[in-house]
Amino acid sequence: MTLKKASLFLAVCLLILAATGIIIYTFPSQMGKADLTPPETVFNQEKGNNSIVKPCSNEHPEWRPSQVIDDVLINAAPDCSPDNPYEVATSVKGTNNVSMATLMQTDFAQDAITMGEDLDNDGDPDVIHIKLEVVELNGSSPDGDYIINSFDIAPGIQPGLWVYAPKSRGMAVKNFNSLVSNPLLRAPSPSIRVEQGDKVYITLENTHYLPHTIHLHGVDHPWVNSKGEDNDGMEEHSVFPGQSHTYEIQPRHVGTMLYHCHVQTAQHFMMGLGGMFIIEENQPNNWVQTFNIGAGQVRHPAKAVIKNYNQEYDLHYQSIDKKLAHIIQEANDPRLIAERMARDYNITESFENYFLLNGHSFPYTIRDAMIITSENEDIKLHVANFQRSSIALHIHGHKATTVALDGVDQPEALQITRDVIDIATAQRNDIHLKTRNDGLHSYGPGLWMFHDHVPTGTTTDGMEPGGNMAIMAYKELLDDQGMPKMHDHLFNEVFNKDYYAKKQAIWAEGSYAKLLGDAGLLIPKHIYIILFGLAVGLLLGLLLVGVLIIKRNLKS
Amino acid sequence: MKNCLTGIIFIYCVNFAFAMNHSGMLMNEKGMIMNSNTDKIPKDCTTISETIDVTIRAGHQYALKFPGKMYAFDTQEINVKPCAKLNITFINDDQIRHQLMIHGLPGYLYSEGMFHLELNGAGQLEASVIFPSQKKTYLMHCELPQHMEKGMKSQIKVDGGDGDLPSIPGISFPIKADYYKIDWSQLTIAIIALSILLGIAIVLIVVNYAAKISAMGDKILSNIKPKS
Repeated sequence: MTLKKASLFLAVCLLILAATGIIIYTFPSQMGKADLTPPETVFNQEKGNNSIVKPCSNEHPEWRPSQVIDDVLINAAPDCSPDNPYEVATSVKGTNNVSMATLMQTDFAQDAITMGEDLDNDGDPDVIHIKLEVVELNGSSPDGDYIINSFDIAPGIQPGLWVYAPKSRGMAVKNFNSLVSNPLLRAPSPSIRVEQGDKVYITLENTHYLPHTIHLHGVDHPWVNSKGEDNDGMEEHSVFPGQSHTYEIQPRHVGTMLYHCHVQTAQHFMMGLGGMFIIEENQPNNWVQTFNIGAGQVRHPAKAVIKNYNQEYDLHYQSIDKKLAHIIQEANDPRLIAERMARDYNITESFENYFLLNGHSFPYTIRDAMIITSENEDIKLHVANFQRSSIALHIHGHKATTVALDGVDQPEALQITRDVIDIATAQRNDIHLKTRNDGLHSYGPGLWMFHDHVPTGTTTDGMEPGGNMAIMAYKELLDDQGMPKMHDHLFNEVFNKDYYAKKQAIWAEGSYAKLLGDAGLLIPKHIYIILFGLAVGLLLGLLLVGVLIIKRNLKS
Repeated sequence: MKNCLTGIIFIYCVNFAFAMNHSGMLMNEKGMIMNSNTDKIPKDCTTISETIDVTIRAGHQYALKFPGKMYAFDTQEINVKPCAKLNITFINDDQIRHQLMIHGLPGYLYSEGMFHLELNGAGQLEASVIFPSQKKTYLMHCELPQHMEKGMKSQIKVDGGDGDLPSIPGISFPIKADYYKIDWSQLTIAIIALSILLGIAIVLIVVNYAAKISAMGDKILSNIKPKS
C-alpha cells in the first residue's frame, strides 16, 4: 500500500509539474510571432463613411471678389473661405457708421465698434470704442454628451478653447439645429488694428464664467486709466464674470503688438486668450480695419501699408495642450474647472499637441490661412507667436526679410533676409515677402508650403501632415474655389476624421496599398489555448480535491 | 582637339579592358557584371552537367504576394545539379538600382567568391555562372541597404542544397521574427473558459471513480505479476 501511495503522490507531482510546464509554454499573450507567412494586409479605411469632410464647402463664392460695401474697398480674397466682406466693412466704418443692411450681414453687436470724433481733422475717426467678450469654444454641456459652440481646428479635432471675440449679437451657434459656433466666434482671438494717436477704449465685457483681463503687451499704455483704475490687465485686477472694465490707450508708437489675458497666464494664454494688436501709422483719411476675424489676409489694409505693399496678412501661430484643453470638456461646474485648471493641471509637466495657424491646423489651413499671390508682389506679414515653444518659420521657395521686431522697425542694415525665421513666444516679426522670381526672394510660381520647421509644428497630436502647415499659392495654381490644384490625392486622404483619429494606414491607397497597408491580426493558436485551459483546469481541480481532503481529515 | 578626344577614348578603353581582365568586371552606365563565367569549369567537375536558362526579375511588385515585404525577386528558389551552368537574365522592373549577388562560390574562379549583377535602373543584363559539384545552398540577394532584409532574398540549391537559408520569403522562417497583435475574439475567451472547466471536470471525474480505477489497476497488476 505504501508503494501505491508513493507512486500516486509521485504521479500527482508529475502531473502538477507537467501542467505548470504547459501553462508556461502556452501562456496566452497579446502579441505573437507570425507563421511562415505574416498576416495579410488589411484595409481599415471605410469608403464613403461619414468621417469624410468636403475639402471646400464653397458657402460664399460671392464674398471672394474685390468689392465696395458702404464705401469701403475690400480686396479680393480668392481662398475657399474668404472673410465676410460685410464684417470687413463694419470693422472699417464701425458698427455705428455702417448701414443697418450691412450690419445685419454680420454677427456684430450694435455697440461692438463705435467710431467717434476726428480729433486731428484728417478725415478718419480718432476716438474708438471696442468691446470684447470672452467665449468658450468646444465646451461641454450638462444636457448631453456633446460639445457646444463647436469649432473644428482640423477634421474631427475639437479641443476646448477660449477666445476673445468682438461683442456679438444673437445666437452663438449657427442656427437652432446646429452646435457649430457662429462665424464671429472662432479661433484665434481676432487681430485688432487702430491708428497711431487714436484714443482707444477697450472694454472687456466678461461673458465667461471665470475671471479674465486684457494686458496690452507692447502697446503704449499708461499704467492706470483715466479713472485711476488698472490699465495693465494684471492678475490682481481681474474682471470677474458678469463685470466689465475699460482699458484706455492713446498709442504713440507704431507696430505689431499683442493683447492677452494675464489671469492664470500660463493656462489662459495656452487656452487661446491672446491676439495681435497692431498700431498703424497715422495717415490722412486712414480708416483701418479694426477687426481681422480669424487673422489671415487683411482685406482693407491701412494707408501706409498700401504705399509699400500689395497685400497684408496676419499669421497667428498658436499651440494647444490637449490635456489642458480637455479640462473644460470634462466638467461643467466652474469650481471643478477652476480647481482642475489652476491646481490639478501642471503646465510644467505638459506637452503641446495641436499647432494652429490662424485658428486652424492643416488641412483646414488650406481653406483660410493660405498666402495667395501673383508674381512681383510685395507682401507684408505680421507674424506673432502665441505658442508655448518657439517657431522656426520656413516658406518654401522664398527668402523673406524681417523689417520689424516686436513692433520696432529694424534699421536697413539689420533687416535680415533668410529662410528660417525664429520667433520666440510672444515675439512678433513683420516680414517683407517678395515674389520676384530672382532665385533669391522667390524661385518662381508654385504651391509652396510654409510651416514652422520645429518638427512638432507640422503635426496634429503627432499625425503628419497637420499642425500649422499651409500653402503660399500663386493664383494660377488655384482652382475656382481657391483650392490648390494637384492636391486631390492628398486632400482625399486628410480631409477625413479617421485620418486624424489615427484609424487608417497612411499609404493604404493606390498601388502600394497592399505593401504599406495595415498588417492584419494573427489568428490565435487554438490548440495552445485549449491546452492552456485544460492545464489550468487540472491544477484548479487538484487544488479543489486537496482542499476537500484536508477538510474531511479535519472533520474526522 | 580630335587627337585629344581620341586619346581620352583610348585611355578609357584601356582602363575598361584592364578592369575586364583583372577583376572580371564589366561596367557601363546601365550597370555592371562581375565574374560572369561562361566556360571555366570548376576543379571538381569534368564537364558541365546541365545548362539552365533562367530569367530573374527584381522589383517591389514581386513583394505583393509576400505580406510584410517591400522588395523581392520573382523567384525564391532555383534547384540545379552539381556542375550546372546557369544562364541568368536579370531584369529590374523598378526605377531604382537593384543587384543580383550570389555568394560562396570558389574564389579561384570568382574573385571574393562572388557573382554580381547590378542594374542602375530598369533594364536587363545577361551573365552566366557555373557551380561546383558540392551539395550546397547559395545565397542570392540584393545588397542594397535593407533590400535583402525587406524580402529581396532567394537561394540556389546545388544537388538539393545543404538546407534552407533563413527568411527566404514564403520558404523559411526568420531567425528574429516580428510580433503581431493576436486577434482575441470572444470565441477565444470562451474556448479558454470551457477548457478550464473541462480540466476541472476531468480531475473530479478521476477522483470520483478513483476506487474503481484503483481496482482496475490492481487487477491489471495482478495479471502481470507472475503467479507465485
